[in-house]
Amino acid sequence: MNLDWTIIPASAGALARGALITIALTVLTMAIAVPCGIGVAMLRESRLRPVALLATCFVELFRNLPIILVVYWAFYVMPVVFGIAFSPFITGLVALSLNNTAYNSETFRSGIKSIRKGQTEAALALGMSEAQAFRKIVLPQAWRRVLPVLATTWVTLFKDTSLVSVIAVGDLAHTAMQIRSQSFRVIEMLTAMAAIYWLLGYPQAKIADWIHKKFGVTE
Amino acid sequence: MTAATLAMQPAPRVVLQYRDVRKLYGDFVALSGVSMEVERGQVVCLIGPSGSGKSTLLRCTNALETLDGGELLFDGVPLPRDPASIRKVRQRMGMVFQNFELFPHKTAIQNVMMGPSTVLGLSEQQSRARAEALLVKVGLSDKAGNYPANLSGGQQQRVAIARALAMEPEVMLFDEPTSALDPETIGEVLNVMKALADDGMTMVVVTHEMTFARRVADHVVVFESGQIIEQGPPAQIFDAPIQARTRDFLGHLGWDA
Repeated sequence: MNLDWTIIPASAGALARGALITIALTVLTMAIAVPCGIGVAMLRESRLRPVALLATCFVELFRNLPIILVVYWAFYVMPVVFGIAFSPFITGLVALSLNNTAYNSETFRSGIKSIRKGQTEAALALGMSEAQAFRKIVLPQAWRRVLPVLATTWVTLFKDTSLVSVIAVGDLAHTAMQIRSQSFRVIEMLTAMAAIYWLLGYPQAKIADWIHKKFGVTE
Repeated sequence: MTAATLAMQPAPRVVLQYRDVRKLYGDFVALSGVSMEVERGQVVCLIGPSGSGKSTLLRCTNALETLDGGELLFDGVPLPRDPASIRKVRQRMGMVFQNFELFPHKTAIQNVMMGPSTVLGLSEQQSRARAEALLVKVGLSDKAGNYPANLSGGQQQRVAIARALAMEPEVMLFDEPTSALDPETIGEVLNVMKALADDGMTMVVVTHEMTFARRVADHVVVFESGQIIEQGPPAQIFDAPIQARTRDFLGHLGWDA
């Protein structure tokens, strides 16, 4: 077999740019999907039935569709049906955020529900409003409980960002695939891609483990 | 009447008045026709078997539960229904729960500061000063920085009492405050409650601690199946109960009336 590993240092700059885009996609998606997830979780618990139903539909739609389909849908269908066209990067971000918002809302909902009713009652008994009790007492506790799950979601998301490569976002996967198809260095580029994803992903997984240990529920 | 003479008026003697209070949970009648009064400065103990409606009555008092019938007057005014007015009423009542319900993500002193800073809008400095004084009062000034997880049950409950007192309430409601405690820490909580009573605090206490009721209460109310079967001064209830059912209940607890 004829392998030429010099292709990797030769494309280091492009790969680094791709890795940065992958990281940016992960960070921005979570920055959007965490607050939106909390919002959707609250809407699902709304006393207004239509609001709760709508939020439930959103969650059940987006967590049961393959991300890659949502990505294609956002790229090809959204411009035609809604007349909105974004750059590939923003389109990928929208698709990933929709999917992760659905996941995070379920995470937060279970976290919020796991806080004893007595905590809210204790807050109300002090004279707090329902909103204050939620913001000051329930949410901070729920947040700690779901942090380990969010950490796992983060690690999964980091890898799943590779799915947006199908719409030419320029992330790590897309960049590596481009170089592969131009240089025909298939094994070298796939190996490099695996190594970079693993090297970036492993520390994140370790941090997630640490968070699991540190914030595991103790009462 | 001028403002001066108004101020001279003594506060109404009766703080809490229950008139034919009813509460249902589906088909289950939790309270059926409960009538009683709590006077200012009084300690009223509610006793009776589990599930007899004592805690429900306490929870109705600060509107954690809504009434299904009858009337509940606080300071001569029926309990309001709208959230803003209910909050105002709750600010004037302190509540202590069986399971403490301290906020686990806050330290002891932060728990006590929560009411003053969040609800009363006091400054950080004012809330802290108030909380420090109250922790001294319940004997826990050395535990101010501890999280609830690092406090014993008795210490947690004393912090919970301080947290309720931080709102400077007119009435304190205790819902089985020692039922979740190890026997060796019950005494420290009861002592704090006794000291409060001696200070003249109006208290409504749901309890299974008969010795405490006997020693501290001004008035004892005996519940069974959602009704009051007997009420009166502790001497009557514990030494000469009129109702056979009161005698039965106390007998089951090993109390020899």
